[in-house]
Amino acid sequence: MELLLQTLTTLLLLYSLYLIWKFYSYKLSTKCYLIDYVCFKPSSDRQITTLTSGAIIDRNKSLGLPEYKFLLKMIIRSGIGEETYSPRNIIEGREESPTFDDAMLEMDEFFNASVDDLFAKTKIAPSDVDVLVVNISAFSPTPSLTSRIVRRHKMRDDIKTYNISGMGCSASLIAVDLVKNIFKSRKKTIAMVVSSESMVPNWYCGTDQSMMLSNVLFRSGGSVMLLTNDPAMQNKAKMTLRCLVRTNIGSQDDSYNCVMQKEDDAGIVGFYLGKGLPKAAVRAFTENLKHLAPKILPYRELITYIYRLARYRANKLKGIKNFVKPKLNFKSGVDHFCLHAGGAAVIDAVATGLGLSKYDTEPARMTLHRWGNTSASSLWYVLGYMEAKRRINKGDTVFMISFGAGFECNSVLWEANKDLTDCDVWEDCINKYPIQDVVNPYIEKYGWVNDESEETISDSLEAFKKNVGVIS
Amino acid sequence: MATEPSPQFLNSIRLKYVKLGYQYLVNHILTFLLIPIIITILVELARVGPEEIISLFRFLNELDLIYVISSMLLVIISATFYLMCKPRPVFLVDYACFRPLPNFRVPFSTFVEHSRLVPQFDEKTVRFQIRILERSGLGEETCVPPANHYIPPTCSMATARDEAELVIFSAIDELLNKTGMKPKNIDMLIVNCSLFSPTPSLSTMVINKYKLRSNVINFNLSGMGCSAGLISIDLARNLLQAHGNSYALVVSTEIITPNYYLGKERAMILPNCLFRMGAAAILLSNCRREGSRAKYRLSHVVRTHKGADDAAYNCVFQEQDSEGNVGIKLSKDLMAIAGEALKSNITTMGPLVLPSCEQLLFLFSLIARKVFKSKRKPYIPDFKSAFEHFCIHAGGRAVIDELQNNLQLSDEHVEASRMTLHRFGNTSSSSLWYELNYIEAKGRMKKGNRVWMIGFGSGFKCNSAVWKCLRTVKTPVDGPWSSSIHRYPVEIPDVVKLL
Repeated sequence: MELLLQTLTTLLLLYSLYLIWKFYSYKLSTKCYLIDYVCFKPSSDRQITTLTSGAIIDRNKSLGLPEYKFLLKMIIRSGIGEETYSPRNIIEGREESPTFDDAMLEMDEFFNASVDDLFAKTKIAPSDVDVLVVNISAFSPTPSLTSRIVRRHKMRDDIKTYNISGMGCSASLIAVDLVKNIFKSRKKTIAMVVSSESMVPNWYCGTDQSMMLSNVLFRSGGSVMLLTNDPAMQNKAKMTLRCLVRTNIGSQDDSYNCVMQKEDDAGIVGFYLGKGLPKAAVRAFTENLKHLAPKILPYRELITYIYRLARYRANKLKGIKNFVKPKLNFKSGVDHFCLHAGGAAVIDAVATGLGLSKYDTEPARMTLHRWGNTSASSLWYVLGYMEAKRRINKGDTVFMISFGAGFECNSVLWEANKDLTDCDVWEDCINKYPIQDVVNPYIEKYGWVNDESEETISDSLEAFKKNVGVIS
Repeated sequence: MATEPSPQFLNSIRLKYVKLGYQYLVNHILTFLLIPIIITILVELARVGPEEIISLFRFLNELDLIYVISSMLLVIISATFYLMCKPRPVFLVDYACFRPLPNFRVPFSTFVEHSRLVPQFDEKTVRFQIRILERSGLGEETCVPPANHYIPPTCSMATARDEAELVIFSAIDELLNKTGMKPKNIDMLIVNCSLFSPTPSLSTMVINKYKLRSNVINFNLSGMGCSAGLISIDLARNLLQAHGNSYALVVSTEIITPNYYLGKERAMILPNCLFRMGAAAILLSNCRREGSRAKYRLSHVVRTHKGADDAAYNCVFQEQDSEGNVGIKLSKDLMAIAGEALKSNITTMGPLVLPSCEQLLFLFSLIARKVFKSKRKPYIPDFKSAFEHFCIHAGGRAVIDELQNNLQLSDEHVEASRMTLHRFGNTSSSSLWYELNYIEAKGRMKKGNRVWMIGFGSGFKCNSAVWKCLRTVKTPVDGPWSSSIHRYPVEIPDVVKLL
């Protein structure tokens, strides 16, 4: 009897230990590791400069002087440098009549280079990939681009593919969110995320100023990432995902309408960027930080902030005015900041909101200078800069934030598993950076864009066109 | 007429069954180990007389309270951990389909007349379109969006958005009414529309219209073809298993306004004749309390992607013709590829759903052929024993015929698909939901029935989902079939003479 009882108890104990182990392994498999990533470097015959951009603008015969002036001003003030890349058909002068094949070529050049690179780098075979997510916002053919990649690499027939489209510049983090959710219900899964933007079919040929910005600001680029939830690959992986917060304030009409793909008055399709965009961005940003701050900041910072806020409010009620509204110090929980290189204004706005220094915004500003606004994949170029500069050490936290149409603000916190030292696409130019002054070299020569006088403008414009080689 | 299955197909099935047996053994090894112990205990108890059992009880009473409590606690904690690890059930609370109004109808006469009046079509193209329509299996009540009623069709971003708003909002409004669901309680949103993906996405359009919360998890899938509806369901299932007590809204549609082909390529004209307006909105949940009012529970989703094969990848392909018109080209070996994709899919699905009797029969037939070298034909599992209802994507008459042949289904099994094709046309990813509604409207859906939904899409993908009915659906059913169910089923002739 005694023996039986003891045997039963031992068995029960073993079984409960087994269940606890199962629960622990379930928790472990929900972690998301970034194995590695690569960014796309287009071939050098696709580079464009301010001069060649000017030539491209001039090809649009329907543009008048005010539009020309506006566009040139935008290019010069953008913070974009002279080594960015553009699709082939735009450089070859066929931007107004893009064909389906041009759009596919743009995608193929990226897939063939970067996806192959990543497989070679990580030594993971295409048949090991269980989940494939592609996010290319403005081009979604049938069959989807995910199928194109599956076909090229002969991936397995039980692969789970997802083609995300229309979700704007923050779609890269949306794809990571999708993968993170899938990891919670599947063990030992390897996922590939392919992130880029299509420019070929989206060139705007009209004259509406609010739709022309997308032509001048966006550049070619892309990135491919491999993620896994297999604990065995933890040592091989570069970073671990700590938390991800998505915010979509599309329920507010003015936020929803500030970025819209639509026809202008003449019926030409383009991306309308409204004046309410900065305000919508700030609202989305604040909303996102509200949910993010408790998850990433240490308790001490949160408690101090709550105390200071309470004191500030109490003082306000009393009527004492010389207290400054307390701000959260994000640097207490985050070591490095990967800001979406959407434009100089975006970077500055986010830096002010988070209380960042010039050192913190340097990766984003330099990425904008070297690569331009590559839409969803820009965060990975920024991360690449930090790695190339040997900034990220083991245990450091990296914060990524991006904005997108809708209006969406998505943010991720990663933790580095080891010292990151990979130069990737920055290898040949990292020593030139940081550039202290990202001012466009032509700003003095073509300062006439800011000139109000009509006579001087037409003369300077003639000279500019001669220089660019548009007229003899 | 059953076709002889290929040796490759049989090999893959064989391997799957061996794996299955092995999986069963390993998954339940503890149970297998416990069985001899339980038997020993029972034998011991049987040997021991009643007095010993009473003395055992007295012995247990004398045990320390702490000993008893700690063991009970251990059991409770382990049970909690176990329950937490179990995947949560996914319930289909309800669904609603877009009900097109009669003024969007395009009867045969309208189709013929419009084709003749569109300046881009020459006489040969018009004749070809009419020939397709004659043999298509479509009826006179299928609907196209307002923009396509214009001559020539006025396809623009604005009209495409109008169609999207019309079909999607109408379906979601009906769903929210039916379920009494408040938009702010929706936690996840997935929208799939293959051929139209504007910025901001259609999912954001839904968030804007219904004022969903700012932390709703939303995804917009595009370009994934007619099987994208089941891909969205699979994604929703993954999301629901990752979060507790949530509601997911899945919207499946196809916006056909921007995709009217205005060229002369024959292979690209087909979609004009078959695709029609439609949308479906589905509410899924993993809340246990929904189990009492939910209609269905999701059992399995199996996805198969044949993109690695070049022919499969190219069989449904969007491209520009020589004149610059964009259209979708359908290749001639579409049916053969669909058959192949289906075979791959059911190889994975079979072991999951076939009853033990079918699996045993197959095992016996395998043993007989391998061990006893019997010359009998290999046994093809009968899927009719696993499912009561079949919803086959109403992609076209040929697709339904091919599947009926492959799976050896009767006419009644494919009736829902044929009648949906007749009444609504090919509404792409939402067609499965119109078919499900047909079965319900006919009063055939009883508690415990299992439904197999099969969708095909570009890529080439074959996706299938298995639902189990949780409560008998009573007629009359309020849905897209309300006004026409009494007229169905109809006899669909092979060719309807239009010229």
